[in-house]
Amino acid sequence: MESPDTSPASAAANAAASEAATILAHHFPAAVCDAYSRFGATRSPDEADIVVLAVLLDHIPDQKRRPKSEPADDVALVAGLGFDSVAITEMVFFLEDLFQVQITNDEILRVQTVGELRAFVREKIALSSAPRA
Amino acid sequence: MSRRAVVTGLGFITSIGNDRTAVTDSLRALRPGLARIEFLGNSNLPVKVCGTIKDFAVESASWRDWRYPARYEIPRETIRSLAPHGLYAFCATEQALADAGLARDTLTDGATGLYCASAGSAFLLHHHLRQMHLAQGERGNPMGVVASIAGTLNFNLAAHYGIRGAVSGFVAACASSSHALGCALDDIRLGRQDRMIIVGAEEVNAETVLPFAAMRALSTNPDPLTASRPFDRQRDGFVAAGGAVCLILEEMETARRRGASIYAELAGWGQAADGYNVAVSHPEGLGLAEAMRRTLADAQLAPAEIDYVNAHATSTIAGDRSEALALRAVFSAAGARPRISSTKGLTGHPLSMAGIMEAAFCSVALRDGFTPGNLNLLQPDEACDGLDLPRASLEIAPQIVLNNTSGFGGSNVCHILRRISAS
Repeated sequence: MESPDTSPASAAANAAASEAATILAHHFPAAVCDAYSRFGATRSPDEADIVVLAVLLDHIPDQKRRPKSEPADDVALVAGLGFDSVAITEMVFFLEDLFQVQITNDEILRVQTVGELRAFVREKIALSSAPRA
Repeated sequence: MSRRAVVTGLGFITSIGNDRTAVTDSLRALRPGLARIEFLGNSNLPVKVCGTIKDFAVESASWRDWRYPARYEIPRETIRSLAPHGLYAFCATEQALADAGLARDTLTDGATGLYCASAGSAFLLHHHLRQMHLAQGERGNPMGVVASIAGTLNFNLAAHYGIRGAVSGFVAACASSSHALGCALDDIRLGRQDRMIIVGAEEVNAETVLPFAAMRALSTNPDPLTASRPFDRQRDGFVAAGGAVCLILEEMETARRRGASIYAELAGWGQAADGYNVAVSHPEGLGLAEAMRRTLADAQLAPAEIDYVNAHATSTIAGDRSEALALRAVFSAAGARPRISSTKGLTGHPLSMAGIMEAAFCSVALRDGFTPGNLNLLQPDEACDGLDLPRASLEIAPQIVLNNTSGFGGSNVCHILRRISAS
């Protein structure tokens, strides 16, 4: 049996996860918060996807460029939605905290479209949910 | 000096009002903006009063939690990298640009510059560095630097408004925004810029205010109505304040060509340091007196031509005394007796933004024709002997006013503003 991780980095991760969940609860629509709650219970990637899409739209720097309907998977984050590198980093950190996954800089750079972000988070969650060897 | 500069726009987020009308009313009626405050949930702290900002809630380190008046539209890409005082600064700048009748697309011409002054956000810096320590350096908020460090105002406002002229920040503690205004005047006189936006801002929170308590510089009087009492014998320290003030300075012919409404001319400035102590002003105000003389020389004026002095006097025992002695050395010694007041009895002392706030007050007083009085001045310090310190605000229109500012390290900066006909 693994002993619980009590390192400072783990404490920081827990604090960050809690802060991100609080932001979600206070500033996102109820449907998104509900999906996040259901994700906590079921680890369903479809529930996570609802949250990812909402977080993506929320982090668009110029909210006048926010699409009225769900953006297609091939829409580019930078050219299509006006993301800049700091907004992408901010969004990725927020997703890391919410879903308690770790995303490297190299991985961030590979994600360039809406579809790639959704698929990428789905994959990360699957990995973190898999039983540990 | 062929190129002259005039004040054409003002914006206020201050303890005595969040727009020019409210501020003017407070100055005329001597209505103070101080309130009780408790820091860090500790009722034992001796500091009980601050110059608070009403209609804003910025206690959270997350901008998503902030509340501010709905009339300000702040895009996500701007607010995400603001500190609390950056929010105040944004709102004050929006007001000043509207007041000056300047559309945003006129600011990107390269002839418009931006000078700002704040100490940065100790609150937000502490928050971000604490997160960094918790994560053992592996993580940090990507906006942490540009939202927190000194310079955050100029980084953010320059980017938001697309400023392509001179952009810089000034850090000289309580004299900072006066340096910003003086250097802006130089840039206009030298033909480097036609228009300058000058902004000063500070926060009212434990991280900004309490370090001054450790220096024993703050009043421990718990009564908001009497705690700030510049030049009075019962004064016991300054009352910290926050907010933001923005002033638009334009080359006079440029302003007249576009039919701008003019508050006043900024006729001169000067500075001189004490060379004495890191925190305490020179006991006889030698540096401040020299700064006043240099400012008079720059504006080519004699002491007797000054009608009103907006004093720096913050309500500290040593600072007010040294300023009174400096005023006597410059004015009484020359047989001049201008009216003098410190408006910090109303506002408290907003640190870096003091100079620009009081230059803006002087601009309003010149245009609207009144002389602000000294709130809470019951028994003037004996160092004030011979000085004219009106208790109430007077419906007397000054023509030429001097604005004093002093900061740590003995920096002293003064400006002279002059009433000007509209034509």
